[in-house]
Amino acid sequence: MLKRDEWLDLARKLDWELSYVAEKDAFPEVQSGRPWLPAAAWAGWDEPFRTSYPEYVAGQHDKEASVAAVRDAVGRVEDFQRLPRGWLEGLKLHAATLPLAEFAAVVGSLRGARFGRDSAWRSAALLGALDEMRHTQIPLLLMHDLVRWDPQFDWTHKLFHTNNWVAIAARHLSDELLLASDAIEFAIATNFVFETGFTNVQFVGLSALAHGVGDKMFEKMVGSIQSDEARHAQIGAPVLATVVKHDRRYAQYLLDKWFWRSWLLFAIVTGFSMDYLTPLEHRQSSFKEFMHEWVLDQFLRSLDEFGLQRPWYWDIFLEGLDNYHHMVYASAYSYRASVWFNFVVPGPRERAWLREKYPSSWPEYDPIWQRITERWRAADPGNDFAVHGTAIVSFCDLCQLVLSNGTPRANAANILDHGGRRYIFCSRPCRWIFEQEPERYAAHRDVVKRVLAGEAPANLVALVQRYFGLDYDTWGKDAFGGDYPWLERRPA
Amino acid sequence: MIPLYGFLEGDTIGLVVLADADDTVAVLAGKLQAAARLRAAIDGPITVLYEGKPIDLESTVSEIRMQPLGRFDVRRGPTA
Repeated sequence: MLKRDEWLDLARKLDWELSYVAEKDAFPEVQSGRPWLPAAAWAGWDEPFRTSYPEYVAGQHDKEASVAAVRDAVGRVEDFQRLPRGWLEGLKLHAATLPLAEFAAVVGSLRGARFGRDSAWRSAALLGALDEMRHTQIPLLLMHDLVRWDPQFDWTHKLFHTNNWVAIAARHLSDELLLASDAIEFAIATNFVFETGFTNVQFVGLSALAHGVGDKMFEKMVGSIQSDEARHAQIGAPVLATVVKHDRRYAQYLLDKWFWRSWLLFAIVTGFSMDYLTPLEHRQSSFKEFMHEWVLDQFLRSLDEFGLQRPWYWDIFLEGLDNYHHMVYASAYSYRASVWFNFVVPGPRERAWLREKYPSSWPEYDPIWQRITERWRAADPGNDFAVHGTAIVSFCDLCQLVLSNGTPRANAANILDHGGRRYIFCSRPCRWIFEQEPERYAAHRDVVKRVLAGEAPANLVALVQRYFGLDYDTWGKDAFGGDYPWLERRPA
Repeated sequence: MIPLYGFLEGDTIGLVVLADADDTVAVLAGKLQAAARLRAAIDGPITVLYEGKPIDLESTVSEIRMQPLGRFDVRRGPTA
């Protein structure tokens, strides 16, 4: 009788020499990725979890039972209604961006399960695909119960099916990262950079905040998801190690590209919640502090371990840690009807906290919030459109997010003429990514180009309603209708 | 109408501004300031840059040869 470890290696390492087909036909570069190496180069592939299918099923069963128990105890509408208003808005943002991106990750994982170059990699990727299916279903199930109470929760399922600008950006990222990438790029971009590098800030950092505000359901959900991520993320490191050995330059390129693209997403999804939507009394650290603790230290250690360099744009990234989510939040607040969740104005106490956490950059943002506050002071409570932008905003031709990189003093947008067309990018790294593979990105049209081509309406209200898929019940508002205890209105 | 990307110093986002060929640069800058005023404003003299270079406030959009989807910036302070 074989011991478990002896049997497991026999069961996982099932590769054999192909005789009926060429290896390059069975594992074509277009699906398996580059550098295309003979099987022997991948033979030492391994990851630390070494999970068998029966173990996987038993473990997932226990996790499901645990999530279900918490749902039964604290997953009713009344439980969510007790949570702080700002926190609920962050929940809507997360709920909408998570499940269908996870569903796209099923496809990416399955590509690894078929075209990964070692059978142990393929086995781990198959379990990863099953994980991602679970991560799609859990938030869809939990948020579905809330739709009758608050129709904005319907966007948990709806977002990716719309032409909302956030959906366009999210699809642009997830189509490339999760649906279109080959097995090697998926393993490095998704498993290594995105999951090993970034999801801790989401699943550990936000989970701690959820505990603080008393959102036991969210805490349980992300904790359960993270336990899966921690396992299948391990696919990335051994793939990266092999690519570094044979094509260090390409490995560095993939890291540089995907660190930047991942950063932009997390800065918005996590940065908004940590620095604006979580009530002040429940905040533990700033988004920047969480990033340093949970992302940067580990990422830089990993770079050293693999002998890779920091991305060339590291100084730009560090400046972004102090600025980017503040730039986007203020912009999105003033165009909140274009999204499906509500926003909170930082009051005097929140602004003092932000000044303490971001001493070098916050002085540029304080006057913006002062102006917005003054506008509310002169407007009736609930009159959102008196405190709302009306112009068409601009979008990056790479990330599809708003042109809000850099600082209020110096917006980092820059223009490129390519192939007879004019492109604009929110930042030098986005432009650099475009220039590395222009054929991959050049045909995609951002919202502004769609408006100019007549595909989308130019009038903002028509754009929000007819193209972004929102209506009065679902478009974003000020979570308090501008009626804050600290905001004294001027008598008319 | 010529669509341009406008960036006001102190603001957090670029805005699309529709310019008439006959608009002076001062009028164009005013359109951007009106569109951004919820978040930012410049009191006093301004400098306008087109694709990074200062331009005369009295010139028109057509005289400057502004191209669709070009970038202009409105900054604090008089043109040096």
